Amino acid sequence: MLEHLRVIDLCDERGVLAGQMLADLGADVIQVEPPGGSTGRGVAPFFEGTAEAERSIFWAAYTRNKRSVTCDLECAEGRTLLRRLLAEADILFESGEPGAMAALGLDYEQLRGEFPRLIYASITAFGQSGPKAGYAATDLTIWAAGTPLLMTGDDDRPPLRISVPQAWSHAAADAAGGAMLALHARHATGRGQHVDVSAQASAAQATLGQVLAHSLGAVEPERYAGGVKMRGVGFRGTTEAADGWIVFALAPGPAIGHFVNHAVRWLIDEGALEPEQAEEDFVTFPDRLLAGEADPELMPRIQQALQTLVHGKTKREMLDISIAYDLLLAAVLDIEDLAQSRQLAARDFWRDYALADGRRLRLPAAPLQISIEGERQRWDTHPPPALGQHNDEVWGALGLSAEELAALRSEGVI
Amino acid sequence: MPDERGILADLKVVDLSWIVAGPTVGRALADFGATVIRVESAARVDTARVVGPFHGDEPGVEHSGLYGNVNAGKLGLALDLRVPEAREVLRDLVRWADILSESFTAGVLEKWELHYDALREIKPELIMLSSTLLGQYGPERSVSGFGTQGAGMAGVLDLTGWPDRPPAGPYGPYTDYPAPRFSLTALLAALEHRRRTGQGAHIDQAQAEATLHLLAPALIDHVNGGATLRRRGNDDPQMSPHGVYPSRPPAGRAEAWVAIAVRDDDDWRRLAGVIEGLDATLTLPQRRDAAEQIDAALAAWTGGRSAADAERALQAANVPAHALSDTEDAANDPQLAHRGHFLRLPHPLHGETVLEAPRYRLSETPGGPTATAPQVGEHAARVLGEILHYNDARIASLAAAGALS
Repeated sequence: MLEHLRVIDLCDERGVLAGQMLADLGADVIQVEPPGGSTGRGVAPFFEGTAEAERSIFWAAYTRNKRSVTCDLECAEGRTLLRRLLAEADILFESGEPGAMAALGLDYEQLRGEFPRLIYASITAFGQSGPKAGYAATDLTIWAAGTPLLMTGDDDRPPLRISVPQAWSHAAADAAGGAMLALHARHATGRGQHVDVSAQASAAQATLGQVLAHSLGAVEPERYAGGVKMRGVGFRGTTEAADGWIVFALAPGPAIGHFVNHAVRWLIDEGALEPEQAEEDFVTFPDRLLAGEADPELMPRIQQALQTLVHGKTKREMLDISIAYDLLLAAVLDIEDLAQSRQLAARDFWRDYALADGRRLRLPAAPLQISIEGERQRWDTHPPPALGQHNDEVWGALGLSAEELAALRSEGVI
Repeated sequence: MPDERGILADLKVVDLSWIVAGPTVGRALADFGATVIRVESAARVDTARVVGPFHGDEPGVEHSGLYGNVNAGKLGLALDLRVPEAREVLRDLVRWADILSESFTAGVLEKWELHYDALREIKPELIMLSSTLLGQYGPERSVSGFGTQGAGMAGVLDLTGWPDRPPAGPYGPYTDYPAPRFSLTALLAALEHRRRTGQGAHIDQAQAEATLHLLAPALIDHVNGGATLRRRGNDDPQMSPHGVYPSRPPAGRAEAWVAIAVRDDDDWRRLAGVIEGLDATLTLPQRRDAAEQIDAALAAWTGGRSAADAERALQAANVPAHALSDTEDAANDPQLAHRGHFLRLPHPLHGETVLEAPRYRLSETPGGPTATAPQVGEHAARVLGEILHYNDARIASLAAAGALS
């Protein structure tokens, strides 16, 4: 769908997902790295645990479908090369600290005159300007600044981040959307523009709107393991199965009370509840409870019966039961479960690639499945590139001769 | 020049999705001028309406800040799709629309002949987004659930917690946070494709799969024969110290925390310049070995001051640190204020409401919400009369059939 677009990706480990999102939709994305390789190639984990440029699993995860060229932006020749590339580019992604690109003469303000149609997207921790724009930042501190960190974790221990860093990916995904909006704006204006993404603001989206709580006069959310806590009372949504955990919701009322009806049907079939309970309608149950016409002990009994039954069943059995009875219940899958998921297998989620050096690599497929006129489209066809793998191809297409390329190589520009 | 109504002013969207993952996409399009009709059922209101934060902490279907945040700028139409006449209205809306966004459990729309293959017959160039937890096909496609169940199925619930405890999980329905970023980008790409070719598209989004891309390094490691990641608290293999440390709480609060992350030896030396008693020469492996003592020293230092003071002192030395903001801190955060992150708009019931601004700031065409979210069915007359050109008799007969509830 985006085959006609060229994207120049200058991102390091911060923001590298953005370019891949467009590459997975067909765009020609060229990852531009320093001659020694992006610092993103130094991010763990590593294949066979070896910390080398071609061994970063992190880097492989977010460069699929891109082409890689090297170019030293610290020297004038390198910057000239980049400008030649930008002449044919639609979108640029970069994730330097505010001011870093300006110091190279490559920020939006200095490029817009020469490349008026270029969409220039910057991904930073706090945005391009403002009192915290110069803050040193990592995944953890951004998560703290955006508020989800304080909301997460066991209530008797310090707050927790997710064990795989998330903040930069949220910001990168916002940058991809913002760049696409700017592309549509260009159809109207004929001009590119600057897209300024703040990872702090992006992280705030991971709060279910709770970031607005104080502003609206609501109480502060509280952290609680496996569930939610309101006014000091915790509600756990996870319960232990025979081989791990499941996560469920069981609440009477108009929104999701019908799922309680379904759960009651299952519990009766299992002999864990008396058949006459099937007559209770949990959609309207709260009203009858208020009117004193319903048994206040019923919901706790149902909850207890469900937990007891789950305890003797596997995650897979519970998923099948959830599907059969239409319960609001799913499994807490771990990494091994995901690798063996029948659903992911049926959806062709894993793709095998041959790398330039002959190794085989299995990666997740593109994040969405798209069909046009009934035909499934696939753009996730190329493995992550080796460092500078496409130097000859990309620079050659700009009209650089073999001799010029050799000279640039010997000078360490590419 | 762009239309002053916004860069997407000609775009017409029917938003049949609910709660967060789908509606967030419609909100993003409305921010840039698209006409977005939010269709919901008054018989079973959107769950987001019964989830807080509520205005004034008062629950009520027109009080939810969550609903308000993800539906700002849309027109509200109530349709009960169980009623055949309502399904005819929806078909007319599809004839009018460029984009249909929906998040019904896979298979439900087929029952009503409103699935993509049926709608494509009446509108070949339709772009349709179907966003569910696990996708439109596969043995588990009909698993019902919110993003909290999605977090379970996407591995992120298991991977948030302490190694010696059951999984804690992230805050709320985590799959609802990444999913709309991926689907917005894909919808705008499909729109680009349609501009060039006239062809429509169907986008099948499994929200869990979108979320798995944010865990991709850990998945790829395992499926290629490497390590199997388990939840690891706040530990980071390449940063140490790395954690959340207690600080002196301000009056009226029980606790306060500050996050500190040491990226490399340079950060460590600078940290040792701020906090006395740290050995500035320690390397990463040495710091990891001594993590317990180092964490204790950091906690002793942070415990003696406010989180804001700790943040200032460490940032002055260029060490990554930030207080753990609660939502009051966020409301008062000078950086979020600088970006205009919290927007105040007049609200018909609450006088004023607060929304989040787009997280991408476009320099020339900034967009952003200009109207609050609709009340249930608020714009029925406008949608049915002005957009679909139904006459009063038709509208009355729809109402009599129970279609408009």
